[in-house]
Amino acid sequence: MVILWKKLFRDLRENKMAYIACLIVISIGLMSYTAMSIAMDNLNRAKNTFYEENHFAEGFAKVRSMPLSKVQTLSRIEGIKKIEGRLVKDVRVLFPGREEDNVYLRLVTVDPSDPTHLNGVQKIQGRELEVNQANIWIGPKFFEVNGLQMDEEISVIINGRKAELVIAGTAQSPEFVYPMQNPQSMMPSPETFDIAYIPYEVMDSLFGAGGTVNDIIFTLEEGYSFQDVEDELKAKLKKYGLETVFERKDQLSHAMLQQELDGIASMAKSVPFLFIGISAIILYIMLKRLVEQQRGLIGTLKAFGYTQKEVLFHYLSYSWIIGLGGGIIGGLLGTVLSGGMTEVYKEFFQLPDLENQFSWRYFIMGIVLSVLGCLFAGFQGVKGVMKLHPAEGMRPEAPPIGKKILIERVKILWNHLTVQGRMAMRNNFRSKGRSFFTLIGIIFTFAMMATMISFNDMIDIMMFDQFNKVQTYNVKVNFESPLYAKDVLRELQNKKGIIELETLLEVPATFKNMYHEKSLMILGLHEESNLYNILDSNGKKVKVPTEGILLSETIAKDLHVKVGDKVQFESPWAREDTLYVYVAGIIPQYLGSNAYMEEESLGKLLGQGHISTSAILNIYPEDLELLKNDYKASNVIQSIEESSIILNKYKEMLGSYGYMIWVMVLIAVVTGFAIVYNSSIISLAERKRELASLRVLGMTYREVLEIISFEQWMLGIAGMLLSIPMTFLFKQGMAESMSSDIMTMPTYTSPSSFLIALMGTALAIILAQLNIARNIKKLDLVEVLKERE
Amino acid sequence: MGLLLRAKNLRKVYQMGEVMVEALKDASFEIYEGEFIVVLGPSGSGKSTMLNLIGGMDTITSGELYYKNQSLHGASEKELTLYRRNVVGFVFQFYNLMPNLTAYENVKLSVEIAQNPLKVEDVLREVGLEERADHFPAQMSGGQQQRVSLARAIAKNPEILLCDEPTGALDITTGLQVLKLLRKFNKEYKKTVIIITHNGEIAKMADRVFYIKDGRLDRIETNEHPLSPEEVAW
Repeated sequence: MVILWKKLFRDLRENKMAYIACLIVISIGLMSYTAMSIAMDNLNRAKNTFYEENHFAEGFAKVRSMPLSKVQTLSRIEGIKKIEGRLVKDVRVLFPGREEDNVYLRLVTVDPSDPTHLNGVQKIQGRELEVNQANIWIGPKFFEVNGLQMDEEISVIINGRKAELVIAGTAQSPEFVYPMQNPQSMMPSPETFDIAYIPYEVMDSLFGAGGTVNDIIFTLEEGYSFQDVEDELKAKLKKYGLETVFERKDQLSHAMLQQELDGIASMAKSVPFLFIGISAIILYIMLKRLVEQQRGLIGTLKAFGYTQKEVLFHYLSYSWIIGLGGGIIGGLLGTVLSGGMTEVYKEFFQLPDLENQFSWRYFIMGIVLSVLGCLFAGFQGVKGVMKLHPAEGMRPEAPPIGKKILIERVKILWNHLTVQGRMAMRNNFRSKGRSFFTLIGIIFTFAMMATMISFNDMIDIMMFDQFNKVQTYNVKVNFESPLYAKDVLRELQNKKGIIELETLLEVPATFKNMYHEKSLMILGLHEESNLYNILDSNGKKVKVPTEGILLSETIAKDLHVKVGDKVQFESPWAREDTLYVYVAGIIPQYLGSNAYMEEESLGKLLGQGHISTSAILNIYPEDLELLKNDYKASNVIQSIEESSIILNKYKEMLGSYGYMIWVMVLIAVVTGFAIVYNSSIISLAERKRELASLRVLGMTYREVLEIISFEQWMLGIAGMLLSIPMTFLFKQGMAESMSSDIMTMPTYTSPSSFLIALMGTALAIILAQLNIARNIKKLDLVEVLKERE
Repeated sequence: MGLLLRAKNLRKVYQMGEVMVEALKDASFEIYEGEFIVVLGPSGSGKSTMLNLIGGMDTITSGELYYKNQSLHGASEKELTLYRRNVVGFVFQFYNLMPNLTAYENVKLSVEIAQNPLKVEDVLREVGLEERADHFPAQMSGGQQQRVSLARAIAKNPEILLCDEPTGALDITTGLQVLKLLRKFNKEYKKTVIIITHNGEIAKMADRVFYIKDGRLDRIETNEHPLSPEEVAW
């Protein structure tokens, strides 16, 4: 069938614009599929190897102080396989000339002599650690960005005194693949924070810890879960000042890595189908039109004796060729892109074995998906005409039954329409299938644009509202351990440049309602706080309750509680084992997920009096240096955070989303164009004669164009109106799938997003119409009318 | 001369919207190898329906139709396809050429599925179009297009050549060329040619003429002395 192939390729070439649009859409879908899947595999493989080789712990606990010699007694708890104790403490680093920077290192003790230890450390470069020397291995990123040298000494503040540590090498651990100082950091910042590994003996003597540890890690016996050992472990650790016990899934670095993996996995499963779906619609319209146009040719082929199957295969080939082409292009581009993605991951995740590996599996799977999707669409488009007997095929299709449409009964509207308007109206209602798909195309174009553009709105609300309206302080001073609020105020209130000052209490707690359980942070705020404002969904300030507690919507949903319910909670800081509190209100919270209560009442409830864990303040920027200098060597103060630095970090992180958004918008416009253009081309082909007759009757080409453009605008406007609720649905779905304890997506869409979407959709329709106009101008009246009816 | 086609009470009814149209009523006839037959009748008389049934292009409502010993009534879609592929060649009034294939490729298209085809180059030379082999339909005149269409039908080397108003869209000179070619095929290759037309002059070329009226095969006349194409005055 060489000749039929020639016909096919020439047909494809004649309509190259539409097929290329289709090819692009498929390629983008498959590219994202392949790239994301390969990158995900790379990340998973590197993670699993790294975790396994270095015996990553399954459970973690923090205590105030516990003798190292007692740790092994815990291994008697049924279900615990191996348990170890360590010292873990954050220390401030003093870089010469950068004294004002808040640079911290987390010192973690290791035993370099034994590789079977839990959370083993993999040395990247340098020499072995000596147990009788103040030497450390340091995170490679920190080493690199701060321009450090091997054997260089760095100064840190330990217990208020300056101490020198020698860099013996760089190393990575499965525990700090994504080294963030705390959950609020959102992303690693190797310039100002990383991990340093130090022999236990050295750290013990530097801190004067007296043979104690403050951090416990353990693995579980086969067949046991974390919950099986949790209660007994808690009970045994209580007397050592238990702060928290958590499992691997809540470990910060692991949780961030897992979140990325889950996110990319769900994207890899949904994004390609969206794009294949869109191109399937385009292909369906294209092929339906093709077989309608080629009815006579199909009849002729059958008259020669071409079989049903041969003809069907010929027409299906249009779709599988596009599918195959898109699949191959997408697969190749995706493979290239996966390399880039893996490089980006290397920047973020410190996994020594993270390498890009080509995957035949995803390449082939992508092609199969794309070919199957296209074949399905093609078959739907082609199947009708295939049943025709050759004799029927060669007769022109019977004209559609001319009937009045429903809308004609609305006399006021109908009587106002021009003849062109009426023709357009009837035509749209008669070719219901095509109108429906065009409508879907327009809805998709509009809703995708509105959703994408409104990401900016979401980010505005999530990030900038948080820093401009909620957290109105500019500096937060975190204490090493809780202090009495009145001492804090006395100490700080006379410092130079402080405009406003409040204390804050952050308490780790586990809330329980029936079998629902949730670990979270309770924030104790000043009753009339000006520096930390809790807002309701209308942006109005909510007073912090002295009786009862405020919960974020996410928490209330997870715990299945409503206002007025009584919930049980436990906190390592509470004097009593179990406490109860009323839910006083439920509030939206986009960044993080917390419970709120008045500070003093919270302290009392815990049986601790009026204590605070940090101070929040507004200070004149020029006086901040002074404050930092005053406390630079303090062993009471853990860190001093500046809101502007955190905000800038967010901005930096979100900046990269910006261009993605515009790429998606562009895809939406291309898709919209392809769908509108194709459906109008079909309309034109079907009604060439009718339109040519109108031209012969004396209508200008502009008046003829009006009929087709009226049809499109009618569908366009209907589509855009329907898109508005669709956008809300899209966003609702996205918000639900993307929300986590770290962030909740607001669903607000600004009018400007809708306006830009409207302009984009209109642009797609206008572009399609310019092409149609060209085609109508080219209509050869004599030729068209001469053709057989 | 062997018996090629035998029809008995052949009938075709179409469903047109809500009405049933009886396009062919009780037609019975026999056609022999190597005959030149003209089916004559005004437009709408049912002659195209008869051609479609003979050509295996449409299903038979009732009656019997045999090609040699093979029954075409009640034949499956697949059997009809094979019949069209191996036995019949079609020439249409409006040529029905693939617009994006050249003259050569259009002929080749039918040769590719034939069992015992002729050489494309030979057939194109036969119809006088070897110079135009790589022209697309849009670059050819109506007569040239009809000759490509004819070449396409002949190249399959079919037993029966079915022509639906083959000169209907052509002027006298080009129409004459086409008729000469049809006659040549009939005489030289000893193949059966069936032409349907409303042009009574063409009927003078035929061995036998089938007159169709209101869907009925009115009568069959035998020409003792068929005229040559040149003698036909139209």
